[in-house]
Amino acid sequence: MKIKNYFFLGLFFVSSILIAQEKKISGVVKGEDGIPLMGVNIVIENTSKGTQSDFDGNYTITANPQDVLVFSFVGYGSIKRQVGQQIVINIEMISDNTFEEVVVVGFGKQSKRKVTDNIASVSSSDINNIPIASMQGALTGKAAGVQITQINGKVEGGVKMRIRGVSSISSSQEPLYVIDGMPLINDDESVSEAPINPLISLNPNDIESIQILKDASSAAIYGARGTNGVVLITTKQGKSGKTKVSLNTSTGWSEATNKVKWLNAAQYVELFTEASTNSYGAEDTWLTEEGGYFDWMANGKDWRNGEVDTDWQDLALVKGSVQDHNFSISGGTDKTLFFISAGYNNTQGIVRGNNLDRYSFRGNLDHKISDKFRAGINTSLSKTKISRIGTDNSFSTPLQAIAQSPLTPAYLDDGIVPNNETSIYYNFLMQEYNGNWDVNIFRVLLNSYLEYQLLPELSFKTEFGYDNNNQTEEYFAGSLTESASTNGYADANAIQSDKYSINNYFTFAQTFNEVYDVEFVGGMSFEESSRSRQYVAGTGFPSDDLQTVESASEITAGTSSRTKYNFLSYFGRATFSIMDKYLIKGSLRYDGSSRFGASNRYGLFPAASVGWIISEEDFIKDSETISLLKLRGSYGLTGNAGIDNFASLGLFRGTSYNKKVALGPYQLPNQDLKWEKTDQVDVGLDFGILNNRISGEIDYYIKKTNDLLLNEPIPGTSGWSSITRNVGSLTNKGFEFVLNTNNVMSENLTWKTSLNLSTLDNEVTDLPNGDIVVERNIVREGETISSFYLVEYAGVDPANGDALFYLNTKKPDGSLDKTTTNNYNDAQRIISGSPYPTFMAGLTNTMSFYNFDFSFTLQGEWGASLYNEGGKFQSGNARYEDNQTADQLNRWQNPGDITMVPQARMYSTNGQQASTRYLEKSDFIRLRNLSFGYTFPKELTQKFSVDRLRLYFTGINLLTFTDYSGYDPESSYDDNGNSNIQKGITFYSSPPAKTFTIGLNIDL
Amino acid sequence: MKKHKYISMILSLFTLAFIACDDNLDIEPEQNILTETAIGSPKNISNILNNAYGTARSGSSYGGGIAMASELIANDGDLWWNGTYVDPAEFDEKAMLADNGFVHDIWMNGYDVINQTNIILANLSVFTDTYEKEVTEGEAKFLRGLVYFDLARLFSKPYVAGAPNNQLGVPIVLTAVLDPYNLEYPSRNTLEEVYTQVILDLTDAYELLPPSNTIYATKYSAGALLARVYLEMGDYINARTMSNDVINNSGSSLTATFAKAFNNDENSQEDLFAWQVTSQDASINYFNLFWAGRDYGGRSGNPDIDIEDQHYDIYDDGNDARANFFYEAKWWCTTKWKYQFGNIPFLRLAEMYLIRAESNFREVTSIGNTPQNDINKLRDRANASLYTSVNLATILMERKRELAFEGFALFDAKRLGKNIGSIPYNANQLVLPIPLREMDVNPNLTQNEGY
Repeated sequence: MKIKNYFFLGLFFVSSILIAQEKKISGVVKGEDGIPLMGVNIVIENTSKGTQSDFDGNYTITANPQDVLVFSFVGYGSIKRQVGQQIVINIEMISDNTFEEVVVVGFGKQSKRKVTDNIASVSSSDINNIPIASMQGALTGKAAGVQITQINGKVEGGVKMRIRGVSSISSSQEPLYVIDGMPLINDDESVSEAPINPLISLNPNDIESIQILKDASSAAIYGARGTNGVVLITTKQGKSGKTKVSLNTSTGWSEATNKVKWLNAAQYVELFTEASTNSYGAEDTWLTEEGGYFDWMANGKDWRNGEVDTDWQDLALVKGSVQDHNFSISGGTDKTLFFISAGYNNTQGIVRGNNLDRYSFRGNLDHKISDKFRAGINTSLSKTKISRIGTDNSFSTPLQAIAQSPLTPAYLDDGIVPNNETSIYYNFLMQEYNGNWDVNIFRVLLNSYLEYQLLPELSFKTEFGYDNNNQTEEYFAGSLTESASTNGYADANAIQSDKYSINNYFTFAQTFNEVYDVEFVGGMSFEESSRSRQYVAGTGFPSDDLQTVESASEITAGTSSRTKYNFLSYFGRATFSIMDKYLIKGSLRYDGSSRFGASNRYGLFPAASVGWIISEEDFIKDSETISLLKLRGSYGLTGNAGIDNFASLGLFRGTSYNKKVALGPYQLPNQDLKWEKTDQVDVGLDFGILNNRISGEIDYYIKKTNDLLLNEPIPGTSGWSSITRNVGSLTNKGFEFVLNTNNVMSENLTWKTSLNLSTLDNEVTDLPNGDIVVERNIVREGETISSFYLVEYAGVDPANGDALFYLNTKKPDGSLDKTTTNNYNDAQRIISGSPYPTFMAGLTNTMSFYNFDFSFTLQGEWGASLYNEGGKFQSGNARYEDNQTADQLNRWQNPGDITMVPQARMYSTNGQQASTRYLEKSDFIRLRNLSFGYTFPKELTQKFSVDRLRLYFTGINLLTFTDYSGYDPESSYDDNGNSNIQKGITFYSSPPAKTFTIGLNIDL
Repeated sequence: MKKHKYISMILSLFTLAFIACDDNLDIEPEQNILTETAIGSPKNISNILNNAYGTARSGSSYGGGIAMASELIANDGDLWWNGTYVDPAEFDEKAMLADNGFVHDIWMNGYDVINQTNIILANLSVFTDTYEKEVTEGEAKFLRGLVYFDLARLFSKPYVAGAPNNQLGVPIVLTAVLDPYNLEYPSRNTLEEVYTQVILDLTDAYELLPPSNTIYATKYSAGALLARVYLEMGDYINARTMSNDVINNSGSSLTATFAKAFNNDENSQEDLFAWQVTSQDASINYFNLFWAGRDYGGRSGNPDIDIEDQHYDIYDDGNDARANFFYEAKWWCTTKWKYQFGNIPFLRLAEMYLIRAESNFREVTSIGNTPQNDINKLRDRANASLYTSVNLATILMERKRELAFEGFALFDAKRLGKNIGSIPYNANQLVLPIPLREMDVNPNLTQNEGY
């Protein structure tokens, strides 16, 4: 009511011409960007007289010369001006955050200056112009201590974000994603082993800022799910003033970052003829004779005269393209703010047959009902359509085609039908020709809130969030594909995931005696997630044109399931600041989850932090050099509840044998199952030098996880393979260093640099029941989690071409016996590397010169290795029929040859066993993204009513510097995508895309 | 005053939210039932038993995995491994590694079956009907005896008749594991102990089971398996007794033609026990997957296991149906495993004739019938010319012709002391390694020599 009166009162004054003894003052109110602001309150200080600026920012007011005008507006700092003799007062309002940067924290906001936590912030400008389909991909290299890796080059592929290392062995390793206050569904719902990025349905262009809560004191307010860090996403909102219409459109093309050199037809013939000779003697000409195996492969083509030389790699890795179009309208008044956007992304992958279309819509609305009431609602809808291809471990995945012989023509003589008759393996082209695999993801996000100001210092906020992820996958393989025996196969899988959350909390903030600032936040939250699935499969199709299960002659499988879990939590946080110098914060969270045994259902997660802004102390306050010096320290406890919904119960499940009902053992009980808890200590120093031209952060943390939720292997003789227990601990430690500099700040030239460096030291500190070995990876006390555990390759015996391995048996003195052997079974496995980097760096440079802007991000990782599980086939000195990497031509041929490639012996094992032969360091530096833009002069564009017109070029992954010889140092085996222990393995995994785009920003 | 009203209203809403939610933390699974329920009723115990059959029928065990290990390890040129999987290639090459995935699955799946049978045997008290109880016990013991028998002969040096057989067998676990607090880390029993357990279980099964029991194990399934076990142990007298008993009393008869014994949706009249395959099975039929052509459900090797020229030499009559039981895909396939959803004959009456003939011949008796008549019965059915006399070599050759590709190769070679090419029948490399994961987990296990 009050504001309404105020408003009318203002209008009354504006329209009044009766008050003649005062003079009339007018002017224009604009924002920093020169755009007029509508609805700015202009009040004469200490009176109730005032007005508002109109649509063009114009205002008029009558005032006395001794009056002071106060200009205020939401989101901007208020400005006071003495009227004096002026009759025209033009004002440029400056938005709040340049006065004091604000960061979003759990259940509130805080001034960056007073934050005692370690929080990495990424703003929209850092991510919006990167035309990459996944939100996480755009963050790569921007934050210290955060490793983001897309599993491989498939467009929908899962993305791993590891904040300050891996804190769990069997429980979830993913951070908690929170969008506008609501935890997001982040479960992979792929029907195959290869994960789909659950956040692929979010449009990165709708994001205003991302805060990554890294330390315990910031993440502990999210208690049981804080251990892996929390990613707070804030979506865009309009600003009051002139309505802004923006269009961002870009288009471009892409290709694989790297290709590997394979044998051509002539080299293939040479190597395999030799391999056969070594195994069966030169007189056995089964490969090369008339009607022999090579003739069969060539399918009538004359391979002897080079008539066929198929480059299977080029058929699998193709030119892709990207289109990204975003349109938004935003604006508002001092009471109502809105943001509406629509986006479309089309990514044609670099792996044949793999592409994505995403349509998204967002509408955000924020309204001040009265002085005391505020309400808001954010909604988004999106539809994502993906054409998928097989997992890395399937013949139908394009990159497995590199195993095919170059002597095999890809197509039959008609050039249309793929040649599946004489290919060594199933020809993947058949899948494209005679099958398909489509995914449709519908996602609805809704966040709403109501805030009531009970007292000036006390407010209550209730938030309701809803997330719905609806995913269907339909697969069809026709009568020419791998499903030929059943005359076709189809399946359909539908998932409905639902999550709703309610937060209710009070915020109390007051300043006492102008010295003590206090803020209390306290409340509760409840969250329920449910998921249901329906699946059906059928075989036998009358025609390849009938591709849905309806036409199947037999339904071969079907299932449906439902599951649910929830969290009930209470939380509180108190923040004190004394004289803006001494900062203290404490928080407490009490979490209960249905996932845990009744006896350990609740967990308590406290955290505390302190800060001292040294630069506010008298002895340094006036320093010209030091503008900010803040010391902070925090300690807290966070949890991890990323386990199966019913992990504590002893269970049986329904199965069948001979179409009759059966009950099979499913899970051993463990009523004592409890939260995995992580203690984290963080000490940090924030600094700013020369009026913050140079600023940065230095942090050191120790993160210790106890009571690990571990799927511990148990003897198979029990009939079981593992049980989830709370055993063991691990530690992550590291330094993080962030440096931001404003190198040049002149009117026409600016240059900013941001550097982040981080180290990571992961160690499993306690594992009471000994090693856990899963194929090539080991979890062992004293070592990095998932270290490689392999027999050590020793090269080739120059005398006979045998592959050699180091024995590595323990000698009595404890040292390893480095004698070599050609008997693989005699050699012992040793720890031979780690899949995780120990050092990561990101460097972003942003420059503007007159109307040109230029920025790029370099990112690097050091210390990790990759094991090529496909190595035995790809680089196995012609043991199998598979085409070989060109380096296999360096095979041992004659006594005395010194090489690392053993003698080629067809069908006879010689060095193809799992060993360090296929392990390689994967250090790299990558030009992650680069953009170069030109903004047309405003004078020119405004003739067409365009406020801003920018033309830009963007490149992603343009350059990669690495010694790694495989496809890509970041590509890994997507079948292991959801495995916590099997890491750093690659297996026909496609490289990421290198993308070039040209785009246009238009703001009206 | 108005203000306070607001606050108290919101506060009460707030407290309401707190209370209303607390019960919601109790959520029951909808796809699973609790262990107590699963072992608490006769119906559910029967369901667990049905699952134990299904587990045993998994591709990795009796759905083809064990048979493939046996055939490929014993392969000296009859077969050509043409597939992409490394693990069977290691079998074929006789160069297994301790991390061989197929070996891992044979072990894990075997003990999974054993645990399920142990769960059933530990909870027989829920039955009120004595007949039902006895049949359930008999079937559980049939499965347990079966699995121990195959684990023992895969993971141990050959059994030597009359010797103490103190060589390492496999761990014998007879208690049900449903509680993680009493997990055992057993060491390996001797081979003799394992065989003793096998005979004990199978004899009990023979006593308890009825003569007919739909597709499940019967008295004569147990009897036939006992005959197989005794033959392997060189106990020809008992082998003869059991095979004769089965031939005379089981009511089974040879199918009219050889072809009719295979690729059937329903068990044939010759099946004393067969593993069931349907199009609805979650578990894959490895026999079909690795032995059939691509157009019949086989893998990309088309087939992965190709039948080589050398094999055809064993047939002495071109009219022998068994000599023509092959078809051509990219390479040559056996017709035995052509039909993707055909049942897997496991104990065929034909094997009983072979056991009776061999045992009678070795013991120089003619109990039931003469060895010559028994052998001719099979030859007659296959359209092969009849023998006028037989000796041990012809009996064993007939066995090879009749039972080829069914998983007998390695066990017969070891039993008969036949070397595989130049590799002695009792060589380390013909014994499976204890799976590496099991060695990593259980410190009380001893690895086989050579690994």
